Amino acid sequence: MTLLLWTLIVPVGTALLGVLPVPRWLKETNLVGGLALTFALSIATAGRFLAGSTPTAFGEVLRVDGLSALVLVLSAFVGLMSGAYSVGYLRRNEARGLVSPWRRREFDALIPLYVFAMLLVAVSNNLGILWIAVELTTLVSVFLVAFHNRDTSLEAAWKFLVLGSLGLGFALLGTVLLFASGRGLLGEGMKGLNWTHIVAMAGRLHPLTLKLGVVFALVGYGTKAGLAPMHTWKPDAYREAPSPAGVLMAVGMLNGALYCLLRFHLIAKAALGPGFSGGLLLALGLLSVAVATPFILIQWNLKRLLAYSSVEHVGIMAVGVGLGAEAATFGAMLHMTYHTLAKPLSFFSAGTLAQLHSSSDFEEIGPGTLGRTPVASALFLLAAVILTGSPPFGMFFSEMTILRAGFAGPHVAAVALFLSCLVLLFCGFFYQVGRLILGESPRSPARPPQPERLDAGAAVTLLAAVVAVLSAFYLPPGLLDLIHAAVRVVEGQP
Amino acid sequence: MNQDLVILLAAGMLVTAYLMVGQKALFTAIRLYSLQSILLGGVAVVMGLSDHRAHLFASAGLTIVLKGVVIPWFLMRVIDRVGIHREIEPILNVPSSLLICLGLTVVGYRVSTGLAEGAQGATHHVIGAALSMLLMGLFLMVTRRKAVTQILALLTVENAVFLVALGATTGMPLIVELGISFDVIVAVLVLGVLVRRIVDRFESMDVSRLSKLKG
Repeated sequence: MTLLLWTLIVPVGTALLGVLPVPRWLKETNLVGGLALTFALSIATAGRFLAGSTPTAFGEVLRVDGLSALVLVLSAFVGLMSGAYSVGYLRRNEARGLVSPWRRREFDALIPLYVFAMLLVAVSNNLGILWIAVELTTLVSVFLVAFHNRDTSLEAAWKFLVLGSLGLGFALLGTVLLFASGRGLLGEGMKGLNWTHIVAMAGRLHPLTLKLGVVFALVGYGTKAGLAPMHTWKPDAYREAPSPAGVLMAVGMLNGALYCLLRFHLIAKAALGPGFSGGLLLALGLLSVAVATPFILIQWNLKRLLAYSSVEHVGIMAVGVGLGAEAATFGAMLHMTYHTLAKPLSFFSAGTLAQLHSSSDFEEIGPGTLGRTPVASALFLLAAVILTGSPPFGMFFSEMTILRAGFAGPHVAAVALFLSCLVLLFCGFFYQVGRLILGESPRSPARPPQPERLDAGAAVTLLAAVVAVLSAFYLPPGLLDLIHAAVRVVEGQP
Repeated sequence: MNQDLVILLAAGMLVTAYLMVGQKALFTAIRLYSLQSILLGGVAVVMGLSDHRAHLFASAGLTIVLKGVVIPWFLMRVIDRVGIHREIEPILNVPSSLLICLGLTVVGYRVSTGLAEGAQGATHHVIGAALSMLLMGLFLMVTRRKAVTQILALLTVENAVFLVALGATTGMPLIVELGISFDVIVAVLVLGVLVRRIVDRFESMDVSRLSKLKG
């Protein structure tokens, strides 16, 4: 058994063990231990890649190149953070009688299964397997969105599943058309859908069929990534999903879907030149950033605010890739990394706030939370500072890199629009956060929040804060190497 | 001969899609979907016979058993449990829906001529029919309000994608097709579970009532 296969087997094993009716401490050990082992194995797999070999399995159906290795490590990291936070999250909700033992077992199985699907997305070199893995993430997350079984959770889950399935239908059609564009060239059997094989043949694919396929694939996987105008499921799903699952969707699914978009973009780039799919990505990315702006200004819910921020960030990454310059691509990969490292903090602190105040709506939490729940509020404020790309944190530098590369290139008008949207988003986000956290606290709040305690959830939130802040000043050299390797893949260099 | 048979079967699938648009009884709509899937299996069988491709038989068997029998049976069970048998008045009435679908068919056929093999013979008709079905599935999705009809619309889109796969390629690799079929059936199960939960909570299957989340 190779290392790569173990990386995929361990989360599945964790999921299977999660179903067993065992005492709570054993469940928690299993979840966190399994995901920690998965993270370690992912790092080892990426290490193998950095050492010069290319881990493969099943005749190149699974293959780890630079882009895969980066997404693999980031996904496994988020999986571990999510698993660790869910310990405290579930304890709090169990104390309030919100989680039945059956639901708990469902949760313990779904989270590792989701991690497995994310990792499978990251390492699959076969476009068919890629599609299957993305569909798997969708099916798993439906149950996570519907977890609380409220009216609104069912609504969000329904919208998510219908829109997600439709998007995946488009992605499948895109894959089929791509396969059709190489009829007679790609051959039959699994090898015909291998990405490496298709890229090698790219120059001889039928251009019109390929174009149609790429458009469908971008729309389809763009739906999963949450690019505007296909982002409408995102705010609903983020609001309803439990915070540990929310962070998996906001980072894991986003990175995975972006990975799919990049794979199709690279095929189109090799066959048709950089303009076609790059232009589409640039347009979709700009639209996402522009659409997020007004919705952040009128937002009424903490987690929906995070959802629109996530629409903004995926837009930034799409713009970075779409600009086509190597420096901009580097900015996009750097942005993906910093976003992954910072997002858990925002979800965990927002989740803690929502749990303490028993709601995530601004009206219910009320203004001036800093006075009532100081630690969680301060951490959320910190998350807001980092997420909006303020200096000296990482996302400031990645956004600057993209902007600099953009102004040096041919799309100056688009980049200027992009910059103005970013500035507006910055102001809008702080307007909302300021209103919520710093505003004047009512004399006699309608519903006093629960007191803050240093429990498992708070500890993991603090850990997430440390990671988010430290990453601004120090990225491990291995991670930087992975980012550079990913950029080389996107730029088509050996 | 074989070519004509393939065209006939693909046209039959298109006809079932039209009938679905003109249909309000949910049971009949499900039977139409079942018929459509069996016709899709038929296309795969005929193509397998004429090209001597054994793996197409496997995919045909899978299609007929899963989509022709298992999924319709499951959906009927869901309807029986929740006791709702008819689609309410759709947002657009039937005659104008049919007229719009006619337009969508023209668009689908027009697009199919641009594809690699589109200009010639049977493939042109198969892809044309498939793209028309795809557009009609999307149309059904936005104009109907019952949860089960929306599931059927999704499944029609999915059948259309498989028909494109048969027409434009010679079928996807078997393992991929197996995986996709497995995912589709799990998706239908998940949708069924959700419908049950929605009916339990809202005492209705009308998805237009799911409208609390905005902004």
